[in-house]
Amino acid sequence: MTDMSSLTSKGAGARVTLTGVSKQYPTARGKQLVLDHISMDIAPGEFISLVGPSGCGKSTLLRLIAGLDPEYNGSVIFGGHPVNGPQADCGVLFQEHRLFPWLTVEDNVALGAFHEGLSRDELKQHVQTQLTHVRLDGWGHAYPQQLSGGMAQRASIARMMIGSRAVLLLDEPFSALDAFTRMKMQVDLETLWHNSGKTMMLVTHDIEEAVYLSDRIVVMDAKPGRIRKIVQNPLPRPRDRVGPAFAEVKARLFSLLEI
Amino acid sequence: MKSIRIGLGLFSSPRLWYPLACLFAMLALWQTVSAVIKNPLVPGLQEIAHEVGRIVQGGQFLENMAATLHRVASGFALAFIAAFLLALGMGRREALSYFFEPALIIGLTVPGLVWAILCIIWFGISATGSAVAVAMSITPAIALNLIQGVRAISPELLEASAMLRLPVSARLRHLWIPGLMPVIIGGIRLALSLAWKVIVLVEMFGLSNGIGFQLNSEFGAQNVAGVLAWTLSFALVMAVIEYGLLGPLEHHLLRWRRISFV
Repeated sequence: MTDMSSLTSKGAGARVTLTGVSKQYPTARGKQLVLDHISMDIAPGEFISLVGPSGCGKSTLLRLIAGLDPEYNGSVIFGGHPVNGPQADCGVLFQEHRLFPWLTVEDNVALGAFHEGLSRDELKQHVQTQLTHVRLDGWGHAYPQQLSGGMAQRASIARMMIGSRAVLLLDEPFSALDAFTRMKMQVDLETLWHNSGKTMMLVTHDIEEAVYLSDRIVVMDAKPGRIRKIVQNPLPRPRDRVGPAFAEVKARLFSLLEI
Repeated sequence: MKSIRIGLGLFSSPRLWYPLACLFAMLALWQTVSAVIKNPLVPGLQEIAHEVGRIVQGGQFLENMAATLHRVASGFALAFIAAFLLALGMGRREALSYFFEPALIIGLTVPGLVWAILCIIWFGISATGSAVAVAMSITPAIALNLIQGVRAISPELLEASAMLRLPVSARLRHLWIPGLMPVIIGGIRLALSLAWKVIVLVEMFGLSNGIGFQLNSEFGAQNVAGVLAWTLSFALVMAVIEYGLLGPLEHHLLRWRRISFV
């Protein structure tokens, strides 16, 4: 376990700074502004969420930070360097698990550590450790098709956690799961975040999920996407979903979103 | 999900009996026609079987089959590598696709016979000539087949490998080759069947051994049973390749597709 801790400490969070980020898409009726001068500063190790109506550009923003979309105005500084293309220090978890269907769970997770330069034995051990963390012991030899939706998404989380990535971007990762599985995944994710010290940025439609997980919640407006307000979450961890304080933060967000 | 039953169950399964019934029906039909027509140009099964015995016992069969298969294999290898590279390029880059499209379309329409003649004229009686003739004839069809596969690779997985920053070698190994495996195996079947048709022509026109050469000699001698004996023997070898090699290979390489959902 000693080398495990060295891997995670190496992967502890990085700072992400957005300054005046705008993005437009060409459409039939000229250019459509999707993001309008977005500025924010995400501290190392912070858990931050983006919520807002569909079309507010929150997923687009995530893709810009991930380096999957090079065409934008403004600056995205990631761990001290401007973003150009997918980077070593950043992992993305999508709504679908995106595991390679022809590789076993083990081999899929191992690909997450492709650039770590581990020996075969070390790699095997790290894969095993990560599978244990996401409660998939004994499923290493299974193919993705054999897993339930929640299990496949956990395997995908293991693939992101195994490397020394400092920042994980989560694009509605649990929205395709049933309510019960989703709650368990949120608990698991919080534990992983807490133990790894990684920076995490979550895009979600689920206000409760945002309140349960985040240090800060960015509420966005749509058309064009702007920041309406950044809400500091005062709740101490571990959080109690059914308490009155939790309901109060939720109610505040609902009123901000005019729901 | 459909699965092929194997093991003891095979003997009671339609997987075994239906193909055998088809073969039996074809043989019975041939024999009936032959018995009704009573013409040496439509020889009966006994006569064909006798000819098969003659070519196998005389040692001609192995020698010519080896020569033909060797030519098919070299042409096939050349064509497959070219088609794979073309398909990756054309499937991923529009400009390359526009550029090579006319060449592929023209390539598809040129008869294998033309390549056979040209390659004999250019290369004479050499291993290169037959390999090039086969490669030129079959590359366009395999490439078109593979391009469809390349375009069908999911953008989600492409993005996942971009985020994992996998280098080209790892992308080939973990994304392209396994992802294209269904079309690759389909392409191998298509390529082998097309290659064999071209190589027979090359051997007929310009070479002094191989199945095509033997077919031509039997034709010269007006020996219909001989022509059929060579044809059937070759079909048998192809069946062995299909059922003994390609089928099991496909079964193994695509095992991830067959596994049932929990």
